[in-house]
Amino acid sequence: MELKMEAIYNKTISATALIGFIAFFLLSLKTVPFSPAPLYGAIAFSTIMFAGYFLTNHILYGQDPALFILSSFISQLGLIMLYRINPAAFSKQINWYALGVLAYILSSAIIKYWVKVKINPYFFLAATLVLLAMPLLFGVERGGSRSWIQLANYSFQPSELAKITFVLFLAEKLRSGKIESILRLSGEILAVTILLMMARDLGGAMLFYMTALAIVFAATSRMDIAAAGLAAAGTAAVFGYYLFGHVRIRVEAWLNPWQDVPGRGYQIVQSLFAIAQGGFFGTGLGMGHPEYIPAVATDFIFSGFSEEFGFMGAAALIVVYFLLVYRGIKISLSAKESFLALAALGIATMFGLQIFTIIGGVIKLIPMTGVTLPFMSYGGSSMVMSFISLGILNGIRQSGRGEEDDG
Amino acid sequence: MDRLKKNTKIIFGIFCGLFVSLIIYLSYFTAYERDRLIQSSYNRRLWEQEDKVLRGTIYDARGRPLADTVIEGNVKKRIYPGGEAFGPLIGYSDRRFGRAGLEDALNGELLGVTEKDPMVLLRQKILGVADRGNDVYLTIDSQLQSTAYSLFRGRRGALAALDPNTGAVLALVSSPGYDASNLQNKWDGLLNNPDKPLINRATQGLYPPGSAFKIITLAAALCSHPEIEKKIYYTPGYVKINGRIIRDYENLWPGDYDLNTAFRYSSNTVFIQIGQEAGADNLFSMAEAFGFNANLDTDIPVATSTMPRPPSLGGDVELAEDSIGQGKILATPLQMARVALVIASGGRLVTPYVIQKIVTPLGLEKSMHKAEAPRIVLEKTVADKIKALMVDVVKSGTGKPANINGITVAGKTGSAENPHGKTHAWFVGFAPAEDPKIAVAAVVENAGGGGANAGPIVREVMLKYLNSLQNK
Repeated sequence: MELKMEAIYNKTISATALIGFIAFFLLSLKTVPFSPAPLYGAIAFSTIMFAGYFLTNHILYGQDPALFILSSFISQLGLIMLYRINPAAFSKQINWYALGVLAYILSSAIIKYWVKVKINPYFFLAATLVLLAMPLLFGVERGGSRSWIQLANYSFQPSELAKITFVLFLAEKLRSGKIESILRLSGEILAVTILLMMARDLGGAMLFYMTALAIVFAATSRMDIAAAGLAAAGTAAVFGYYLFGHVRIRVEAWLNPWQDVPGRGYQIVQSLFAIAQGGFFGTGLGMGHPEYIPAVATDFIFSGFSEEFGFMGAAALIVVYFLLVYRGIKISLSAKESFLALAALGIATMFGLQIFTIIGGVIKLIPMTGVTLPFMSYGGSSMVMSFISLGILNGIRQSGRGEEDDG
Repeated sequence: MDRLKKNTKIIFGIFCGLFVSLIIYLSYFTAYERDRLIQSSYNRRLWEQEDKVLRGTIYDARGRPLADTVIEGNVKKRIYPGGEAFGPLIGYSDRRFGRAGLEDALNGELLGVTEKDPMVLLRQKILGVADRGNDVYLTIDSQLQSTAYSLFRGRRGALAALDPNTGAVLALVSSPGYDASNLQNKWDGLLNNPDKPLINRATQGLYPPGSAFKIITLAAALCSHPEIEKKIYYTPGYVKINGRIIRDYENLWPGDYDLNTAFRYSSNTVFIQIGQEAGADNLFSMAEAFGFNANLDTDIPVATSTMPRPPSLGGDVELAEDSIGQGKILATPLQMARVALVIASGGRLVTPYVIQKIVTPLGLEKSMHKAEAPRIVLEKTVADKIKALMVDVVKSGTGKPANINGITVAGKTGSAENPHGKTHAWFVGFAPAEDPKIAVAAVVENAGGGGANAGPIVREVMLKYLNSLQNK
């Protein structure tokens, strides 16, 4: 059984590498005159990927190889699109991928042992609040939200790390399955959400809030709290619409982008044009116009991907993301302890909601909020932190397996 | 732990729902929303397509090209062999000046980007015709169009001619027009011309219809009060309503009028009485039955002709003005041709259309015209009574200038008062009355009386078309 699974994993990762070589070869053909440079990218990527695969398989006992394969598969699609859009961004991003793989292995290994240490939940809460307050105090504004910190030549989005500390805080606090003071807990969740709103990171605020609801519901089975939480979010959204101009602009751009195509509707309309152009089968790699889409390397990378890979490619990508969430949920279900189960659930929920929010936003199913598409969007914080989250999932899985095997 | 697992499964179920909804929405988007987006004039990809594709040709009903792409050296050039008569209808497609007219409305078809069946696309690629757009065949008779255009002799105005049986548009003239070839040399002149040649007056021009609207007043009255047929109306030559005086035309004597004479000589004062008898509600709903206040969903953009509902209290002046087609009523020449069509066809309203068929590079023909059951908006007996009255208008009334020897022409004139000077001259009619083959509406802006100025244009257009049917 194990051997058979291993053979499947080996085939899958080889297929991923093959897809990469084909795609980068196509990009080589597209460059005039013919240049082998994209192929070097494929070589670099598969080297890192195979090294990571080999290491995880041999160092991490009882791990889930699917997590690494799925995330690398998605990262590669992102890198292919980035090379297509801007080769310079590709060179940076592949370094982030390498760093992400390293962080994945480290966090997997560390978490496996660390989970046995009991840490006060308020340490995590304090960390979350400090991380989220940092950009408000000395951050820089980018794309309308003030959630970045600039350090020398690198900029960093602390909210990416806060996602992890926030999930760990809630998992630790609710491990007993009981809420000591509902008022206090709501206050803590609201404080986090409000800090994100102050940074005008509406997508982030929604992600944190909904993830908190999911964890609270899973831990306590309190349907009434979940319903009240959703109702409160709905009310807040209505108030936000009337009180804040930037909320209104997003909602209006969603409801009717055609009212002001050169202005507030511009981004979403360009995104929709790209997806429409792709149709069922896509224009083919290198044949679309990602340069027409604003922020195509970050928020709108899914639209660029859809144009060239079509509905078929986009639907397949959604399925791959779904598999990743499914693996996370599975790890949560197999966890031996409620803290681990809640932490795994929190991380899987954070991933799932983030993916739904950004894909739903660029296809105009829901209003557009600027969150990144994990593993695909250009950016170091998102790439590395996504890998660390995945590493935590992997560590939780190992800790469960370890006991099983030891016992 | 068990409850936690159960809850986790519930949350997983929600995720299943969310991700499935993404894929369902994306499928819906790709299947249904796609076409509209690809053809949007905001879509920059269309111009890329334009470079790669040989834009399709627009032909008239007999296969004469009206917009064609020729290759001079290595440069693709769009030419418009029809000249000035076709400018406002066909429009132009130019990277600098954008698109207008049918070149705009049919852009997706002409570029061939509407095709979405992957098998057809594959066949086109294999057969080497993937870089060709679709050809479009119009219902327009280009000789009729040119003749009609020349009859305006440069005066501002418009004409619409329809086949009363199908609604096919035979001619759609806007004067002055322009020749869309070599647009860059004349763009500024066209843009600054006070006569606004870039506008298609036949579909976008909204004019008060004047006495031509009396057809609708008559229909409303005949439907609600059939006895008016035998009534005699007295008029002193003017009528005073709430202090406002409306007069008849100068050559009408005060006295007794029956319905026939009042319609034949277009007496305003009698028709105000008839309108009062019909009542505001009947007049309003009859105008809507004839197609007013409804967005015309057809293959070219058409401005909506409007008649605001007269207020039921204190709307006497408005009702009086409405009865004679003045006041707030506005109609496009195409809409007025539809009014003639309703009478010509014995009470049926059909949607006019200009596209006969679209031919793909593989030779497949697509019909753009949605077959629709004609709506019966008027009883045939009433339509025939109005037809008889319209025949008398041309035989011995205000419409005499449209009379044709040997052919019974039915018509109604209109001289619509407007704030810009002399009255707009209207003529709407159809021929032959016994078996209508063509329904026409023409307006000449600020030309004066409808019979004398618009009548001869309609007469020539009818004659030309009926002769061409004979010679076929």
